[in-house]
Amino acid sequence: MSNIAGKAYAMNVITPIPWWKAIWQHAAFKFVVRFPSNLKGLINLSLIHYARWTIIGRNSFPHLAPSQPKEDLHYSYMMFESNFNGSWDQYIDSFSFAIPEGLDLFWRFNIGYPKSIPLHGFYNYIRFNQIETDHFYNAYPCASSNDVKSATHLYDNLKDFTETSLELSDEDFEQAYNALLLDNQQYLGCMEAGPSLSLKEY
Amino acid sequence: MANTSGNAYGLTALCPIINGHTNDSNPLYKAAGESHDKEVRRILQALPLNQESPFANTDNTYLARLFILNDVFFQQGNDFKRDQLKSKYLCFNSNFHGELEPYLTSLWNNNENQVREIWQHCVAFESVSNANDFVRYIKSCQLTTTLFFNGSNDQPVAEQLKALYVKQMFSEFVLTQQGKSAAELKQAFKYFLQRVQLNDVKSPSWKPGQTEVTL
Amino acid sequence: MSYIDGSSMKESKSLDLYDIQGNVCKGYGRYGFPKARYCFLSFQHTHSAREFLALLIEKITTAETWPVSESSDHHRIKPNSTLNLGFTYSGLKKLGLPERSLKGFPVDFTMGMKARSEILGDTGISAPEHWDDIWQQDNVHAWVAINARDQDAIEFEFNALGDLVTQHPDGVRIMSGIKGPNNTILPYQDASAVFENGLPTAKEHFGFTDGIGNPYFEGCGNSMSRLPGRGKLMRDGSWQPLATGEFVLGHVDEAQEYPPAPEPKLLSRNGTYMVYRKLHENVDTFNGYIDNLAKDFDGSRDLLMAKMSGRWPDNGAPLTLAATDEEKETLDAKMASIELRVSEGDKSALIERKELRRQWVDFTFNDDKSGSRCPVGAHIRRTNTRGSLETEHKAFHRPGALVDRRRLMRRGLPYGGIDEAKSDSAEQGIIFMSIGASIERQFEFVQQQWVNYSNDFKLGNDKDPLIGSHDGKLTDKHIIQGCPIKGAKPPFFCTQMPRFVETRGGDYFFIPSISALRMIAEGLIDPS
Repeated sequence: MSNIAGKAYAMNVITPIPWWKAIWQHAAFKFVVRFPSNLKGLINLSLIHYARWTIIGRNSFPHLAPSQPKEDLHYSYMMFESNFNGSWDQYIDSFSFAIPEGLDLFWRFNIGYPKSIPLHGFYNYIRFNQIETDHFYNAYPCASSNDVKSATHLYDNLKDFTETSLELSDEDFEQAYNALLLDNQQYLGCMEAGPSLSLKEY
Repeated sequence: MANTSGNAYGLTALCPIINGHTNDSNPLYKAAGESHDKEVRRILQALPLNQESPFANTDNTYLARLFILNDVFFQQGNDFKRDQLKSKYLCFNSNFHGELEPYLTSLWNNNENQVREIWQHCVAFESVSNANDFVRYIKSCQLTTTLFFNGSNDQPVAEQLKALYVKQMFSEFVLTQQGKSAAELKQAFKYFLQRVQLNDVKSPSWKPGQTEVTL
Repeated sequence: MSYIDGSSMKESKSLDLYDIQGNVCKGYGRYGFPKARYCFLSFQHTHSAREFLALLIEKITTAETWPVSESSDHHRIKPNSTLNLGFTYSGLKKLGLPERSLKGFPVDFTMGMKARSEILGDTGISAPEHWDDIWQQDNVHAWVAINARDQDAIEFEFNALGDLVTQHPDGVRIMSGIKGPNNTILPYQDASAVFENGLPTAKEHFGFTDGIGNPYFEGCGNSMSRLPGRGKLMRDGSWQPLATGEFVLGHVDEAQEYPPAPEPKLLSRNGTYMVYRKLHENVDTFNGYIDNLAKDFDGSRDLLMAKMSGRWPDNGAPLTLAATDEEKETLDAKMASIELRVSEGDKSALIERKELRRQWVDFTFNDDKSGSRCPVGAHIRRTNTRGSLETEHKAFHRPGALVDRRRLMRRGLPYGGIDEAKSDSAEQGIIFMSIGASIERQFEFVQQQWVNYSNDFKLGNDKDPLIGSHDGKLTDKHIIQGCPIKGAKPPFFCTQMPRFVETRGGDYFFIPSISALRMIAEGLIDPS
C-alpha cells in the first residue's frame, strides 16, 4: 500500500454533504470555474499535478445488478482526489497557510468541516476522512509538477532554437545560444529522485 | 465538460465489489473463504509498481490509482446521522490524456489478465469478455467530475516524457559547455541534437514510470 | 468571509521573560558575549539528576531585559556569563517524566536528530557514523551552554558546573567524546566569534558575515527598531512581529492556535525546541573551489561568493542592495563617507547610517524575481524566502504565507580555526542552533525542502551552494542567473560542487521554562 510514487502523493478524501447543500457546493464550484482568478492561489502553489472534486449524489452510487443491495444514505458525498508534490504535512500546511479562504470555499458545505484555520482542526478533518491508496502509478516519479511544466517550456524553446540557429556562424550561434540560456535559465534545474516522503521507516 | 481539462481526462469510477466470501472451489483464490474485498486489496497491493505497473503500458496515463472504499465515515457526535454503505467499492481514478474509450481499451488490451484478476470480484463483471464490454462496464460505474483542477498540462504523456528527458539532458549539457569556444560549442550542440533526437517523441526518452534518472 | 489575521496584533503583548530561558529571546553574541562552551550531560540516576537540576536552576539565565545603568554611557548591566539548559527526549525520560507527558512530545523530537538523518540529508560523509564519538551511543541527555565575554569567564563557569556535577557522582556526568583542536578529544565544545584586530566579528570560517536577520516575534523583548525585515511581511509592505507561538510553546501561533505541546501545560508553556548541529567546514576545499571557479567568472572573487550566499562576504550587504562589483564599490564609498561624517560629529550622518544599515535586513526579492541580483538558489534566499514564493501578486493570504511558519531563530557561533595545521581536516566550523515551536515544520522543512531540494523555487533537485549535500557530481550545481534583458550575459553555472559543510554531530533538545525546570527537578510534573 502506498500513497507515494516518487515525487507525488495520492490523496483520497471522502466527506458527507447534506443532499440539499450539495446544490450550493455545485454552485460554488461553478463559480470558481466561471471566475478562475479564484484559482490563482492554487496555481501559484504549483504543487499539484491534477486534482478533482466529485460530488456523488446519495442515490448515485453505481448499482449494477439486482443482487447488489441499493444504497440508502442520508447524505451525499464529495470525493476529493489529488496528486501533489511534497509530504502530506507539507501539502496541508502550504494550503492552509496560503489559501485558507479557497479551501473553505471547496469544503464549506461538507458536514463537520471546521474551516482551514486554525490548522489542526483542518489537519484532523482531512486525516479523518482520508482513504489509503492501494496502488498508485505516476508516469514520472522523478518529476514534480513544476518539473513537467518547465520541461515543456524548455522543450518548445529548444525546438524553436534549433530551427533558426544551426546555420549561423560560430560566433552568431554562440550569441543565440547565450540568449537561449538567458531565456530559459529558470528551467534548468536538474532532476533526480525526490526527498523521502514516506514515514514507513519512522 | 467537467471530466476534462483541455485534452486531459479525469476518470472516477466506483465499481461495487461483490459482498460475501469467495467460492471455495475456485483455485484462483488464495484462501478459501476470503471476502471479495480483502482479495481485491491483496491483489492491488501486490501489483507491480512504477515501470511494471499495468498503467505504465496503458497509453497516456499521467497518474492513476486504485483503492477500496470500505465505508463512508461517520463524522461523530450527536449532530450527525450515521450512514453505512451496503457494498464496498473498488475506486478507479485516473488522469490521462485523450478520450475515455481508447484509454480503457488500451488498459484492457495491454493488461487483460490483470484487469480480470482485479475486477472479477466486482458486481456484474462476468458480463465483461472483451474491450468493448470493459468500456461499457467502467462507464456504468463512472461518476461525473464536478471540478477538475489541472495544475500541469494536457499534453500526451509521450510528449511530457520526451520533454522531461530533453530537460534532463540539456540541463546537464549546458554545464559541460561553460567556457568552451564558439566552434566547440556549436559542434557539441550538434552532437547533443544527434543524441537526444528532439523531434522523435518516442525515443530516446524517459520510460513511463521510471524511478531513476539515467545519464 | 473574514479571517482573523495576525496583523491585528500590536506589540503590546508582554511575555514573562523571567520564565523563558535567555537564549530563546537573545542572541548573546549581540550582547557582548563572543565566547561559548557547550557541554553535554548524561544522567545515571533519576533522583540524583533531579537534585543536581534543582541546584543548577539558580544559575540559569532568563530572557529578562537587562537593566540600563544610570551612568552616562547607559550601558546594560549584564552578567559575566550566561547559562542555559536543554534536554533530549531520553534525558526527559531519565529525569522521570511521566509516560503520558513523554508521549505528548512530537515524533521529530522523540526520535532525535540522528534517527532522522535521511530527512536532513545527513548522508555519506555527513552520516551519523562519522559524527563525534559523543553522539554514537544514545545517552546524551542534556545540553548546557555557557556564553561569556572572555575565555576566563567561560573556564570559571565551567569549573563551577564541574563542581556541581562532582557533588552528584552517581547521577550526572559531563560526557566526553567531542573532537577538539589538534586531534584532542574533549568533554566540551568551545565556540567563539572570529576575531579580527582583537575585535569579535560576525564572520565564519569561509569568510562570510553570518547571523543577520533573525526573526522578530511578539513579546521577544527586542527593540521594535529591529522589526523591519525580521517579522512577517504584510500586504502593504510593512512588517509585523511574528506570532509568539512560532517560537515559544503555550502561546498562539500564526495558524491561530496553540502549538501542539505535551501535557501538562506547565511542562510546555514558555518552553521551546532547539536543534543543535556541529557543522564542519572544509575551508581548504571551499577556497580551492572558489579560486578555481573565479577564473571563469566575470566578476570579483567576492562577488562570486556573494552570488552563492546572497550577501557580500566582507560586510554582509545583501545582493538586493548591491548586485555587481560596481554597485558594491559605490555602496562602500557611500558608507565610508557616512562613517567619516559620523566621526566628525555629524548628527544627520547617524540617521543616514541607520537608514542604510536597515536595508541589510529590510528587503524583499520582489524586484528581483529572475534572480539576476540575488540568485534564486542563493543561501539566504533559500533559507528565508521572504515574499518570493508568491509569484503572482495577491495570490496568497499574505505575501509571506509560505515562509512565516518556516522561520529559523538561529543561535550559534563558529568553532575552531585554531589548529596548528591548517587543512580541511582541522577542527573548524559552525555550531548551528535553531529555536522554534516545531522542529519538523521549521528546521526540518527548510533543510529538506529548501536546502537540499528546490521544487518551491522551480529548480528541480538543485541544492544550496554552501550547505547542500553535494557530492561533486556534474549536476551538483548552482545557477547564477543573468539579467533577463536582450544582450545580457548568460547565466553562470557553479558545477561539481563538493560537500563544503559536513555534519559532525548534534541532536534535538527541549528548552523548558524556568517553572517547568523547577517542577521537573521536584518531580511535580503530573499530566492527570
